[in-house]
Amino acid sequence: MELVVALGLIVFKVALLIAILLLLPLPLTWLERKIAGHIQQRMGPMRVGWHGLLQPVADGVKLLTKEDHIPAEADRFLFKLAPILALAPPFVVFVAVPFGESVSVLGTEITLYVSNMNVALLFVFAVIGIEVYGVIFGGWAANSKYAVLGSLRTCAQMISYEIPMGFAVIGVVMLAQSMSLLEIVRAQANVWNIVYQPVGFFVFFVAGLAQAQRIPFDLAEAEGDLGAGFHTEYSGIRFAFFMVSEYAIMLLTSVLAVILFFGGWNGVLVPLPPLLWFLLKVAFFVYVFIWFRFTFPRYRYDQLMAIGWKVLLPLSMANIIITGVAFL
Amino acid sequence: MSRALDRTGIWIGWAFFADLANALALTFGYMFSRPVTMQYPDKEKWLPYSRYRGHHFLTRDEEGEIKCVACELCARICPCDCIEVIPYEDEKGNRHPAKFEIDMARCLFCGLCEDACPADAIALGQQYEFSSFSSRDLVIGRDDLLGKPGKAMTGGGVVAARLNTEQDVLVETSEPQGYNWWRNIRRT
Ligand code: SF4
Ligand code: SF4
Repeated sequence: MELVVALGLIVFKVALLIAILLLLPLPLTWLERKIAGHIQQRMGPMRVGWHGLLQPVADGVKLLTKEDHIPAEADRFLFKLAPILALAPPFVVFVAVPFGESVSVLGTEITLYVSNMNVALLFVFAVIGIEVYGVIFGGWAANSKYAVLGSLRTCAQMISYEIPMGFAVIGVVMLAQSMSLLEIVRAQANVWNIVYQPVGFFVFFVAGLAQAQRIPFDLAEAEGDLGAGFHTEYSGIRFAFFMVSEYAIMLLTSVLAVILFFGGWNGVLVPLPPLLWFLLKVAFFVYVFIWFRFTFPRYRYDQLMAIGWKVLLPLSMANIIITGVAFL
Repeated sequence: MSRALDRTGIWIGWAFFADLANALALTFGYMFSRPVTMQYPDKEKWLPYSRYRGHHFLTRDEEGEIKCVACELCARICPCDCIEVIPYEDEKGNRHPAKFEIDMARCLFCGLCEDACPADAIALGQQYEFSSFSSRDLVIGRDDLLGKPGKAMTGGGVVAARLNTEQDVLVETSEPQGYNWWRNIRRT
């Protein structure tokens, strides 16, 4: 009986997570377009619903009813596989991400995470690495020059940015003496990691921007020079998959930044419910992502590589050494 | 010395991304400034600039008689050959157009007809909403032209938007010279 309840709870949590992640791009696209509009002194969507609130729904319906077009010369199997490969990993990763300690509903303690892995951080980085295959396959299978160029860039970008990103979080792991995201947050109960690890955060954040393929590092899609990059040839629901994946990764990067460096659900000064604190911080980072997108131009490809290898990598190494000397 | 200080200042700023921070501050400021969007045609509509060349109109004199003397100068000068005038003579012996048609689908709104007219009978007004599903509907006859709104400079009167809206259309008439496009643009 207890097993059934526990299993049911896990299934329920996973279902809830998937539902939230699938639906979240709707408000996020609206928000992104609104913020873009106001930054550019426009209004953004205004016509569908109150202040365009229903615009994402209209767009979603449009995407679902569009023709699902596969180019004649495409590798059909890979072409169909790629969106799924891009979509699944960000969803899987959230299994290991905690959103809070626990809440008690009807006398039972319900934990706000699906699983508390002791190597959660490793799991996150390993699984999110698979997402790149979606992008690479998508670009390759479409048999289009733009798409191939986009995915080639992604390859190089991911390789050069996963390394500093991985190194950047080692400092956090050293402080918490654990790879479990839950333990990392608990270790920050008094002082957030950002105080000890500003450099680590900087490296993590910049690499995170590159990971999420956001401006100023969105070379994989680079509307200006590559059409739409790796998803140039995609349409309809498959394109929507890529979009959802992109938003999920943006969300994941924000969540990781909050968990690793900004104390997770630990609040300061104002006593708010922990979950609310957590969501507020994540929302802030999501806003920063969007804000960056409409402020900065795109880095050139060689600049991207130079930043990755010549700035971020040495910085993250130095960060590890200094953390090691100072705290161990 | 001070130049050296300046240079170090610039370097320190560069190391801490002062320029990027500046850009972020600017866009953040813009985010809370007033949008310049005019919600046409849902909410706002405005008089075009006074010299705007829109839909033609024909004028009448004080007696209410059409001013045009059917000299066909406008038809001659029109580079698109889109005006057709057929004259007639009334009881008093004055020439007037029996038929005066402008093919709006061909007109390029150069305003030469207005310049050529010796009787100040034809001019380009401020109406700009006359798209249509059929180019045949764009051939406008004499009586329609007489009823078209005049120039923004001389009042002219704004015509209601053609698209249906839930809200009332806000007509921007505070400036007789037409809408000042640059008013809302923020200058820093
Ligand atoms: S505005 Fe120019 S093109 Fe149009 S009717 Fe007059 S002369 Fe012809
Ligand atoms: S509108 Fe003017 S130019 Fe044209 S026929 Fe009449 S009087 Fe002549």
